[in-house]
Amino acid sequence: MKRFVFLSVFIAAAVFSAEMALAQDLTSLKEAFRNIRSVKAEFLQKRSLTILTKPLLSEGKLFLSTPDSLRWEYLSPLRSVMLRKGNKIQIYNFSDGFWKPEMAQAAESRRMVLLEISLWFQGRFDESKAFKHSYFPGPPEHVILVSGEGINKFINRIEIILSVRPGVIDRVEIEEPGGSRTSIEFKNVELNSSLSSEVFEKP
Amino acid sequence: MICRKGFEIFLLGFLILFIGCVLRPETRSTLRSPGDLPGCYAIFPVKPWESVHKIEATIGGGSSSLIGVTKGEPSEHRLQSVLLSPEGFILFDAELSGGGMAVRKALDPFHSPAFARGLMEDVSLLFFPPQVKPTAWGKETDGTMICVWEGPDESHTEISGSMESGWKILRRNKQGKIIKKAVLHGPFVSGLASRVELWSFKPASYRLRMTLIQAFQ
Repeated sequence: MKRFVFLSVFIAAAVFSAEMALAQDLTSLKEAFRNIRSVKAEFLQKRSLTILTKPLLSEGKLFLSTPDSLRWEYLSPLRSVMLRKGNKIQIYNFSDGFWKPEMAQAAESRRMVLLEISLWFQGRFDESKAFKHSYFPGPPEHVILVSGEGINKFINRIEIILSVRPGVIDRVEIEEPGGSRTSIEFKNVELNSSLSSEVFEKP
Repeated sequence: MICRKGFEIFLLGFLILFIGCVLRPETRSTLRSPGDLPGCYAIFPVKPWESVHKIEATIGGGSSSLIGVTKGEPSEHRLQSVLLSPEGFILFDAELSGGGMAVRKALDPFHSPAFARGLMEDVSLLFFPPQVKPTAWGKETDGTMICVWEGPDESHTEISGSMESGWKILRRNKQGKIIKKAVLHGPFVSGLASRVELWSFKPASYRLRMTLIQAFQ
């Protein structure tokens, strides 16, 4: 009996200690992101579909200014840009030499994605309304987001792999039901450079 | 004076028509020659393929950019078509097989049955020849192929063109009105045109401009 009590106390202490360490790590993770005022990066997106033998590659740029401005721009194969400034979200496509506003195509899904991306780049994983997060100190340090009811029809889980450089995301892996997946790799990441507000307002 | 001018205009019109008729025999088609029949199928892939297109859709006053992924099996007349947003969201996913259509996924505004039917008709028009033999075909002396198929619903499909000048596909309803028109431009990569423009006039009016991004056979 004494041995059982000792074991129970030991396990409880170990679990408590692990949770404390995790909370400590997550706090320090948020602290690393807290110093970020802006992010500028290039990205390579690999879209793997069960219908396709080879993934579809897209290239683009990302601009973020905390707390709520984001520009997510594709340069190829389609030129397209999603802009967020506060609650205002605009989507444009480049066609015939002009930027044209996008018709309301899956606007809700795209709005949700923009809001989520804004949170990731500020380390505010616990503020997501659509996903529950788990933090893993690694290496590599990463965060797993599991989708809630409704979203799980489109996304199973998202893995965000963090760089050794504090506050920088290396890669995002998105898994969908049915086996399709998306990998987004970030490169040439610049932190806290000066960004004009026009970047988030005009295509 | 007015009467004389009217007569001159009539005469000019008559001459233009007359010259047109005189020149016509130089480009006369050789009709229903068995040797020309394969030319009616030149623009359609013969082997299983998968392709990715950049699509610019103009509907009403608005425009939309999409990525279209198509996988086809011509011998089984089977085809899967997926529409993605530029970010890679699957907006529409449907399959044609054995004469039936199954829609796996369709998000607003692509969720109406009419849209699904129309889109799969467009894709079939571009990638599959009608399943019956043409009722008429021929090759003009300049190399232009002309092929006509009659559909079960009294609709007609017409294909004309050449690899050098590009191709045109017309789909007419039983009243003879054009309901879909597609213009295909080479070069052909893995059996697929590099650029396609498609106009749909009925029941919905829209234009699709498709640019081939990648293709495998």
